[in-house]
Amino acid sequence: MNTETLIAVNIGLPIVSALAAFLFNHRRAREGIVSVTALTLIASSLLLFLNGGMELSLGHSFEVIVVVLDFVLLLYFLYQGFKALSWQVIVLSLGQLAPAAYFEFVLETPPVEAILVIDRLSILMTLIINVIGSIVLVYALGYMEEHESHQGGESRQNLFFFYLVLLLGAMNGLVYSNSLYWLYFFWEVTTLCCYELIRYEGTEEAIENGLRALWMGLVGGVAMIAAMYVANYGYGTIAIDELLAAIPSRYLYLTFALMAIAAFTKSAQLPFQSWLIGAMVAPTPVSALLHSSTMVNAGVYLVLRVAPAIQGTYLTYGIAFIGIFSFMVTAIIALSQKLSKKILAYSTIGNLGLIIFCAAMNTPLSYSAATILLLFHSMSKGLLFMCAGVIENRLHTRQIEDWKGLISRLPVTATITMVGMVSMFLPLFGVLLGKWAAIGITATAPLFLSIVMIAMMVIGSSATTLFWAKWLGHFAITPMSGAEPAEENLSATYKLSLYSMLGLDIAASLGSGLVLNRVVAPIVALNYGKVWDTGILVLSSQVGAFMILPLWVALAAVFIVGGLILRSKGGVVKPPYMSGENVEGDPEAFRSTADSVVKYQIAGMFFDPEITEARWVPYSTLAGVFLNMILLALVIL
Amino acid sequence: MSLMTKARLKSLWVLHYDCGSCNGCDIEILAALTPKFDVERFGIVNIGDPKQADVLLVTGPANNRNQRVLRNLYDQMPKPKMVIAVGTCACTGGVFHNCPNVLGGIDKVIPVDVYVPGCAARPEQIIDGVVLALEKLAGKAPEGEE
Amino acid sequence: MIDYMAPILYVLAAPLIGGLIAGLDRKITARMQGRVGPPLVQPFFDVIKLWGKEPFISSRMQPILATGYLVFVLTGLTLLALRADLLHILFTLTLADVCLIVSAYNSESPYSNLGGRRELLAMLSYEPIMVLTAMSIQIVTGSFLVSGIFSYGTPLLLVMPAAFVAQILVLIIDMKKSPYDVSGSGHAHQELVRGVYTEFSGYTMALVELGHWTKTVFILSLISLFWAHNLLFGAALALSLWFAAILADNVYPRLNWKSMLRTTWLTGFTLILANFVVLIVLEVI
Repeated sequence: MNTETLIAVNIGLPIVSALAAFLFNHRRAREGIVSVTALTLIASSLLLFLNGGMELSLGHSFEVIVVVLDFVLLLYFLYQGFKALSWQVIVLSLGQLAPAAYFEFVLETPPVEAILVIDRLSILMTLIINVIGSIVLVYALGYMEEHESHQGGESRQNLFFFYLVLLLGAMNGLVYSNSLYWLYFFWEVTTLCCYELIRYEGTEEAIENGLRALWMGLVGGVAMIAAMYVANYGYGTIAIDELLAAIPSRYLYLTFALMAIAAFTKSAQLPFQSWLIGAMVAPTPVSALLHSSTMVNAGVYLVLRVAPAIQGTYLTYGIAFIGIFSFMVTAIIALSQKLSKKILAYSTIGNLGLIIFCAAMNTPLSYSAATILLLFHSMSKGLLFMCAGVIENRLHTRQIEDWKGLISRLPVTATITMVGMVSMFLPLFGVLLGKWAAIGITATAPLFLSIVMIAMMVIGSSATTLFWAKWLGHFAITPMSGAEPAEENLSATYKLSLYSMLGLDIAASLGSGLVLNRVVAPIVALNYGKVWDTGILVLSSQVGAFMILPLWVALAAVFIVGGLILRSKGGVVKPPYMSGENVEGDPEAFRSTADSVVKYQIAGMFFDPEITEARWVPYSTLAGVFLNMILLALVIL
Repeated sequence: MSLMTKARLKSLWVLHYDCGSCNGCDIEILAALTPKFDVERFGIVNIGDPKQADVLLVTGPANNRNQRVLRNLYDQMPKPKMVIAVGTCACTGGVFHNCPNVLGGIDKVIPVDVYVPGCAARPEQIIDGVVLALEKLAGKAPEGEE
Repeated sequence: MIDYMAPILYVLAAPLIGGLIAGLDRKITARMQGRVGPPLVQPFFDVIKLWGKEPFISSRMQPILATGYLVFVLTGLTLLALRADLLHILFTLTLADVCLIVSAYNSESPYSNLGGRRELLAMLSYEPIMVLTAMSIQIVTGSFLVSGIFSYGTPLLLVMPAAFVAQILVLIIDMKKSPYDVSGSGHAHQELVRGVYTEFSGYTMALVELGHWTKTVFILSLISLFWAHNLLFGAALALSLWFAAILADNVYPRLNWKSMLRTTWLTGFTLILANFVVLIVLEVI
């Protein structure tokens, strides 16, 4: 299958399927459309991986379509701004309309020859978008059915799936674009999908958060247009590959700085993190797809794209600083969160910050660390969000304090979730491989800056371990009371999506040597050279050696030896120790004064009031604004 | 003597429970742990958790309220286990044996292996009681199984 | 080519060495308190006795997790003996700790739950020091590999003295000695009944005890790397810190977890960072 067809499929099929899903608002039709789309996209991404990259020039008619659609989009945003009386949206839409119009119609800009450039980085992104995205699409089928059956009323799923599927096409277009204008266009389409999906529920909270996501996304759009202007002024081109190869000057760095700021808005780095936290009001497939594994990767992708051209500059360390600062702050705030999706959201922002940090630290090892983190985080976080959605649909609460004893109420889901959590912060899985590499490169920054970064890295990763471990522990509480297990009843789509994502994560982690050699190394080799030496047991780089397979062998030993011991010694299950005051039949209670039965209560550890959002968010946001201003100052002055 | 039996004789973890004692016997038990008498040299540790204890040291008489707790603690101890009643109140109820809420000595509630009388029982006697319990353990369980 | 025999023997001997060190600990503590103390091999009697108790468990997960704790600590020690990557080894130990903590939460017990939470806080206290130590090794020798310490010219004690001193905090917290025995305590003390160990009993407790001994041996081995050129001297250094921990236990009362966090972060963490600054200024790195 030739590459042009695959590209057409990757961008075009989602558009067609989205329209089909919109028009045919029946469950069966939707299932059919989504399944066909999913299978085709997965196949297409794998074939593309095997084929390799290329450059594509498209005809003038495509450019016209893009320009027209772009203006329609901007006008739609403006309209939405007026409808909601949101001055931010209005100002930012106008702030794009006018300059974009001027840019397209007045300024003489030479056309970009190779509009679409597909290289190894784009191919990895396509793999993530198509494979992980398809799994989440399948999940969404089951989730939205359950979700709407709770709500009643007419089905609006056609609208939901329209935007959800469209996003995949927009993301693919984004990662292939070599023209800044096309990139910007697809970028704004993802903003559109994000806005519509967040406000899908139609509640006041949803609309408010949708608007916040919209205007912050539009800030990114403005930054992109500004970048286009600067690039055109300095170099007379908006072709990304030409800019990456251009002779550095202040204009080039300013372009990249503006693109970095756009990346921060999309990946919710400080100070733009609040939209992602607020976006958790959307239905869970939205969180799983857009806000953890796919759309937010667009910002990270941009930094990965730009990084090779800014090696060794102040700009790159500035971007790295913002990344690791976001990582540290969100890890600390996550310690205090009690809502499942908010913890996952803060963790996402933190990990994206870590990826940006690694990419911007700009050493061969750090760049590969960024790629590894990107790949594995998408899988693990997508899995966790999907699990959180299943649990929430059954328990009707997001409070993790109420998610006690899930191991017996929802055994399959709880086990998958626990494995997902382990995959985020413990060795055996790929995320920790990335984090290990990230710690390894922290000291490569210029001297005293490295001390600050080391401190932030250690603080951030300690906080991360803490909040995952305490949530994991809470999940493992095994109720000994005869609590009725909640109906687990996992539908076929749930089982398919959860198991395949879990299987993918485990397989990729077990085969991380292979992943490093076949997927990561070619990307790093484009600009940096060889980094890893991969054997079966050991993955070694210049800073050390990581062993994944030996740990899996140890894990197998745990189960074998532990199982043997359990089988031979056995054991009677006994109620917990309550100072002798146990109550027959109720392991959670004890006898108190006058022999009354009292249930013991333990609240979780949330570090209230030292760490509260009310205290930390305003200062962090302010710090974020300050840091971004310093970033711009670094390049302008 | 098998290794397991030897280990059980050499490592005796104690759970101390006060059933309503005046604390006189409790103080004497504490004294046994202090440097002057130092029962730790025999491997005796006041562990405080029935699930890990071998010996239940009880002081004070059993009454209607604490019989449930006593039985609960005894049940939470895995075998092989011993019970030592320290002090006259724990043995027979002592001066309180006629009181309305008092059931008598603790053997009304749980099986007792060694009785250490005295009011208060002296540390030397308590240690003698423990040695007696160890001999009973050695004789009782020659292969280490119960 | 690394000699495989010595590391394997070392790992197999580790629980034995650990038990003897635990026994020596109790003996020294007893002598400091003017007592005679138990025999040196007392911990082995304890573990054998525990193994022979009637098995009570809090769930079927508990024995697996207890085995996990022991196996992963042994894995970490094996990797250390094979001179592998120190940061990776530290993460393996985190895995072991999380097994213990999840097991503590697993039983529906208030004491165990609080103990598990405090064990997490203890981990939060000593892990950063260990990670910073690994990073110091990376900065000084160029990689995380323990073999790099052996091939580096100067003993680490002379280059990173702050990391060495900070290890005392790690030892105190790991050995569960006052002032930082908040998550469960050594034998003669009680905190939250048995804290994180409350719901373990019989053979699961034996597994956890073995794991704990091995972990202590691991930390002492790590400290001896501060004089890698003469491991006997290094071991002497490690044992001197170990002795200081026992002394601290007999002198200090138990402090609370906030104090533990504060001291480890404000003292240990910042001291090591200050060491980095000094090294940069002296142009060692």
